[in-house]
Amino acid sequence: MKISRTILSFISAIVILFSTSVTSFSKVVGDKIVLGAAISLTGKYSSNGVHTQNGYNMAVDRINNMGGVKVGGKTYKFEIIYYDDESNPKRAAQLAERLISQDGVEFMLGPYSSGLTKAIAPVTEKYGVPMVEANGASRSLFTKGYKYLFAVLAPANLYLDVAIDLAVEKNNGKPVTVAMAFEQDAFSQDVRLGVLDAIKRTGSKKVIDDKLPKELNDMAATLVKVKQMKPDVLVVSGHTKGALTAIRQIAEMKVDVPMLAMTHCDAAKLSKQHGKNSQYALCASQWHKTLTYKDNFFKDGMKYAADFEKEFGYDPPYQSAESSAALLVFKDAFERANSFDQKKVRDALAATNMQTFYGNIKFAEGGQNVDKPMVLFQVMCDGSGKCENKVVAPTKWASAKLIHPIPKWSER
Amino acid sequence: MSKNILLYSAILIFGLIAPFVFPAFKVQLSILCVLIVLATTWNIQGGEMGYNTFGNILFYGLGMYLCASVQVGMFFPLAEWTESGGEKTFVHTPAQFFQGMAVGLVVAAVVPTIVAGLIGYAILGLRGHYFAICTLGLGVAAGEISGGIEIIGAGQGFTTPPFPEVGGLEARGEFFYFLSFGALILTFVAVRAIYSTRFRLILNAIRDNEDKAEAMGIETMKYKIIGWMVSAFFCGLAGGIMGGLVGYIDSTDVAFDGREMGVFMVLMAILGGKGTLWGPVIGATVFHIFKEGFWTFFLGWQYVALGVLIVVIVIYFPEGIMGWLREKYPEKFGEVIDEKDRKAQVELK
Repeated sequence: MKISRTILSFISAIVILFSTSVTSFSKVVGDKIVLGAAISLTGKYSSNGVHTQNGYNMAVDRINNMGGVKVGGKTYKFEIIYYDDESNPKRAAQLAERLISQDGVEFMLGPYSSGLTKAIAPVTEKYGVPMVEANGASRSLFTKGYKYLFAVLAPANLYLDVAIDLAVEKNNGKPVTVAMAFEQDAFSQDVRLGVLDAIKRTGSKKVIDDKLPKELNDMAATLVKVKQMKPDVLVVSGHTKGALTAIRQIAEMKVDVPMLAMTHCDAAKLSKQHGKNSQYALCASQWHKTLTYKDNFFKDGMKYAADFEKEFGYDPPYQSAESSAALLVFKDAFERANSFDQKKVRDALAATNMQTFYGNIKFAEGGQNVDKPMVLFQVMCDGSGKCENKVVAPTKWASAKLIHPIPKWSER
Repeated sequence: MSKNILLYSAILIFGLIAPFVFPAFKVQLSILCVLIVLATTWNIQGGEMGYNTFGNILFYGLGMYLCASVQVGMFFPLAEWTESGGEKTFVHTPAQFFQGMAVGLVVAAVVPTIVAGLIGYAILGLRGHYFAICTLGLGVAAGEISGGIEIIGAGQGFTTPPFPEVGGLEARGEFFYFLSFGALILTFVAVRAIYSTRFRLILNAIRDNEDKAEAMGIETMKYKIIGWMVSAFFCGLAGGIMGGLVGYIDSTDVAFDGREMGVFMVLMAILGGKGTLWGPVIGATVFHIFKEGFWTFFLGWQYVALGVLIVVIVIYFPEGIMGWLREKYPEKFGEVIDEKDRKAQVELK
């Protein structure tokens, strides 16, 4: 074949291209500690990806402005290299590899969602890169024996089991009937497991157990069944889109159910987007601004929320708060390790025991945060139609009383 | 001939030393190998046979799930491994990991081949747009179905066995690189051998005029099915390798990823020039380099940049890079223009 030469020259072109693009800089450049993060800037998790990124950026600015990180008598500042993982686990795994082997990153922050964290964890583990993640709650992340994975949040199975307990309590301790609809993804399926456990524990009965597609925007079929079966509790989980879809269609179809429990209400800005339609929805949350935890950087939840609102123009969902907390954990660990040695930093992370505005942080063997309970809040509206999220459980943090059962649509 | 040997040995040497010369790019190079395999096998249908399929992603995803399932299932109870929340942790010994991978890859290649035979028998009677749409459905359906099967993790996804503690930090990358490079060589050699037989001519005959081919006594259905089975074999193999490389299988985002991989394999073959041996190879390489570049330099706008690239390809290189080269330098492709004859024809007018 005569085209051989063309192809040969083509190959040499690639060789040249590759060799010129090999750039490797290491984790601590001058006075900077470079962290790597793959974030969903596009794709189905893009809104939560941005919440995560805003949380990270907010904490980086705050820590840097308040003196940075002191290691070995020297002051360092945080810097984050971001890549867009397109909400795709395959891409996320590649990016983790790229951050570590090409960009020379030695410490990582987590992506958004359990699925993507699951894809990244094997890579960081292989290279011994400590990763503090704030948005991967799936229980199976913490049972794989990962040594370099630390999550500042409570595992996903603890999200909504409290809601079932609450429903049973309101039913005078008698079992309830539960309708469930969960998205087909790692996180929501784990929430489902937690709910199933609670159903079993309380002797309750599941009457509907539907799977919702990814990228969901219609769950009318499930809601028709709910109308027929009249369960005591309806549980829905499917990230931001799940929350938005559920509220929109429940209002459209005037579905009456005594208790509606969901996840991601604050990330979806439900009370703002759907106003009164979202009223009475019960939501699982890792954090709420009214909780009274404190730290030196953000002071407390209210102050954090106010600062966040000033910078980004909206009320921080818990995804942002926990992401900010991840940076506080890293800073604390670096200073205690007093070194940039990955093993030492890892050990320091494992020994973390601190309070942040977001909650107490202490890691179990598997890497999950065991020192911070979940809270449930309910969307409550006043006469003028202004809606707010108010914590209703656990009682220790409650700022309002649970409204139960939810009034029928005909009576609203 | 000597030039050919020179070319092939150059590629082989480049392939063998690449992971050591560019250690940071091992994963990208591995993925490149997988992409070339996918584009090359798509070209058998889309290029040589004229059947535009979006269904090859089915075999890729199937291979991925099969390889991982076998690798786990050979040594541990699969249901407990994939059980969400799995309270137990199983660890593969190095021997178990590699044995499992070896058997898994064989299964990942063979089963999709059989599936391709069965499905092909059912749907290869369709032609043109009807076939394309039917295969589009295959990939989508497979994604949804696999997302509901508990034993392979359903919506939770499937974490493939972590690479065992052998070799240094680089061992995992090198292992998967050479695995995918091996798959690439196997695919290329096999496809090249097939293309040098009458088989290719039959596929071309089907593309150019299927009815005529049939009238000539060719059992077109048989060849169409065999062609698809060949594709499925290598797609399954590529899927199995990719599953191990990514480390986490998700039904619609990683395995039956019709929206990305399924479309990319078509794009790469068209970019390089369909219906040629080298087209998909060049197409995949150029595509991968551009894609990685866009993802680095146009963060946030990468898909816009990719979209522009596709538009440019369609407008300026409708026949792909190889087609464009062929038009520009026909003599390099062994096409001789008889000047005298050409002039004679012009003068006749």
